[in-house]
Amino acid sequence: MDSVNNSENNSLKYESLKRNFNLFRQSKIGVLGLVIVAIFGLLALLQPFLFLTNIWDEATYHPVVGYDSQKIQATVVSCKDIDYPTPEYKTPNDCPGPEEVNIVAVAPYNPGIQEGDVIEQFIQPAPPSSKHILGTDSLGRDVFSQLMEGSQVAFVLGLLSAIVGVGISTLLGTIAAYFGGAIDAYLMRQSDLVLMLPTLPLLFIISAFAELQVWHLALVLGIFGGLGGSVITIKSQALQVKVKPFVDSARITGGSRMKILISHILPNVAPLALLYMVFSVTGAIASESILSFLGLLNIDMSWGLMISVAQADGYINQGMEYWWLVLPAGLAVTLLAGGFYLVGRGLDDVFNPRLRKR
Amino acid sequence: MLRYIVNRFIQMVVVFFLFLIISYLLFDAIPGNAFQNLLLNPSLPPYAYEETIALYGLDQPLSVRLQKYIVNFFKGDLGYSYIQFPKTAIELIAERLPRTLMLFSVVNILAFYTGFFVGKILAWRRGSKSETWITITSVFSYTVFYPWFALLMLWFFGLRMGWVPIGKFLTPSKWYDSPFDSDVVFLEMIKYMVIFSVLYFVITLLTKEIESLNLRRNIRLGSFFALLFISNFYWNTGQLSEMRFYAGDIAYHTILPVLTVTIVAFAGTALLTRTTMMEVLKDDYILTARAKGLSQKRIRDRHAARTALLPVVTSFIFTIVTIIDGSVLTETIFSWPGMGQLILESVLREDIPVAMASFSFIGVFALIAHFLADVSYAFLDPRIRIKSQG
Repeated sequence: MDSVNNSENNSLKYESLKRNFNLFRQSKIGVLGLVIVAIFGLLALLQPFLFLTNIWDEATYHPVVGYDSQKIQATVVSCKDIDYPTPEYKTPNDCPGPEEVNIVAVAPYNPGIQEGDVIEQFIQPAPPSSKHILGTDSLGRDVFSQLMEGSQVAFVLGLLSAIVGVGISTLLGTIAAYFGGAIDAYLMRQSDLVLMLPTLPLLFIISAFAELQVWHLALVLGIFGGLGGSVITIKSQALQVKVKPFVDSARITGGSRMKILISHILPNVAPLALLYMVFSVTGAIASESILSFLGLLNIDMSWGLMISVAQADGYINQGMEYWWLVLPAGLAVTLLAGGFYLVGRGLDDVFNPRLRKR
Repeated sequence: MLRYIVNRFIQMVVVFFLFLIISYLLFDAIPGNAFQNLLLNPSLPPYAYEETIALYGLDQPLSVRLQKYIVNFFKGDLGYSYIQFPKTAIELIAERLPRTLMLFSVVNILAFYTGFFVGKILAWRRGSKSETWITITSVFSYTVFYPWFALLMLWFFGLRMGWVPIGKFLTPSKWYDSPFDSDVVFLEMIKYMVIFSVLYFVITLLTKEIESLNLRRNIRLGSFFALLFISNFYWNTGQLSEMRFYAGDIAYHTILPVLTVTIVAFAGTALLTRTTMMEVLKDDYILTARAKGLSQKRIRDRHAARTALLPVVTSFIFTIVTIIDGSVLTETIFSWPGMGQLILESVLREDIPVAMASFSFIGVFALIAHFLADVSYAFLDPRIRIKSQG
């Protein structure tokens, strides 16, 4: 009897999931967001797979300590301080050109070298090739592998901090709405206190006296996000649920406070909480990238760090000449954060009855 | 109602008190202090460090320092800066704050108007192809990795095209023989901006009652250009005609930061307006307006957009609170010497008086905004009014 009930229940759940997914599919932006998130998820999983199956050699492709030297044949030329344009070069910046090397740069290591000789040169950063899809960075590390490592970091951090944050704010928000009075006042003032602290300077201070690992940062972001503004939003939603007739009837039929809170109010706040979770992933990914961009995280590799390295070496100011150092990491942060946001918007458009088309 | 406000006010003071203590403890937890570089200077005698520490009172135990700081804080004495010694913390903030407020109020006003306009149209064209694409674009401009985007903007407009200067507040070479202090010129500019916006606001209020939408828009647009024309004369009078050159230099430096932050900031408003406006369009009175045979544009601009404006304005007020917090990155990248840089510098170099003063400034700002929002909600919404009285 029990098992029959269970399987019936399961098939019902499956049916409702299927129906909800069909609703979600109607929202184009939601589907696009899901596709983006799935692509980055695949990227994050692909890298360990490639290493385990030895398709990628760790010594060459490791995102942090890997090294691959790309050699080219370069002609030795000499760039003098003369008036430009000359027949070969238009501006001083064009000398040495591609596949050429200035004699001043190589003479100390190659005694007796002449102008017009051809020597082997290592190039770092190396442009994209069939071996390195997105080229290598200034230390000879594979950019594509770094991108995959970065997406692992982003997923772990974004999801962990979102779960922690939303867990805290849902619990506190419902408690504040349901019990009211002194508890409510205390919780609201607590979230005022958290909102008063400026985020970025606060993270600077924390990183000054604690070595922040990824999961530390996830907890810090989760706790501060969870105690701050989202408690207020969840509370206002819970207040609307609290005055619904079914809560009254539960109370009349003798439900205890805990029972009403857990089985009647929480499930009705949960959809909004889920929505908040998706949106807060966006914020967490951005915060992590900003912190590692500023060099405040104790982390081996992340998207923010890739941009930080590109900026420190001056490649961003050279614009699109070194596009494989500048574009992939920045676009990855933007796209993944945007992907989660689009999923959230899609969920909102479909499941929020006030926004639904029909 | 009065009891609620008084109660809330007392809570606010307690929260601020806790905020001060927590911030001080946080700054104290950072290892080292602002004067440690004295130890590295070989030409200073060994007792110089101890004497400086004693002079600033940093050798006393934490409890004594905390107590003294809080007592002095409520007396209105926020102390001298450790790093820029003769200046007080308040002087530093008074110097930096106008620059941040000016930059970000221009940005916020621009972002609010463009965002509201775009969001309104998005909600109206729901389901069309252009709506999907513009929504996706605004989502990505909302979630763009900000420092990266700002650096690329600097590279493109500043380095590649050379249209705008690369960061900074002014071009020093133009100011060598300037008869004016840059802050004086800047205050003049702020004065001008305030007068301009007040005048334009008055015109908007006066034209509010005009029924024809086209006429109203044309009058507003015309008066905007008329104001621009008049301001040409304004900058030609007396001392202002000499200042004009220098004011122009500062204005030239604001273009790129304003453009960059507006692109990032407008999307948030646009997406919020889109959601609220979609909710409003479901309401019965919109159906009534359609049944009455009103023109589409009138329904959109007068019936739906007006109602959708309320939550957007509320969130806009909260955005203003986060201006200083959000200015840290922008000001660092564009070398704009405002509050954000001041906070960053004072936190990183442990200039505790300045850091505490700026933190408490932000805190007071946020507290007052939340207080006003709460009180006005409680005043407007009877459900919350009853709830909060228990």
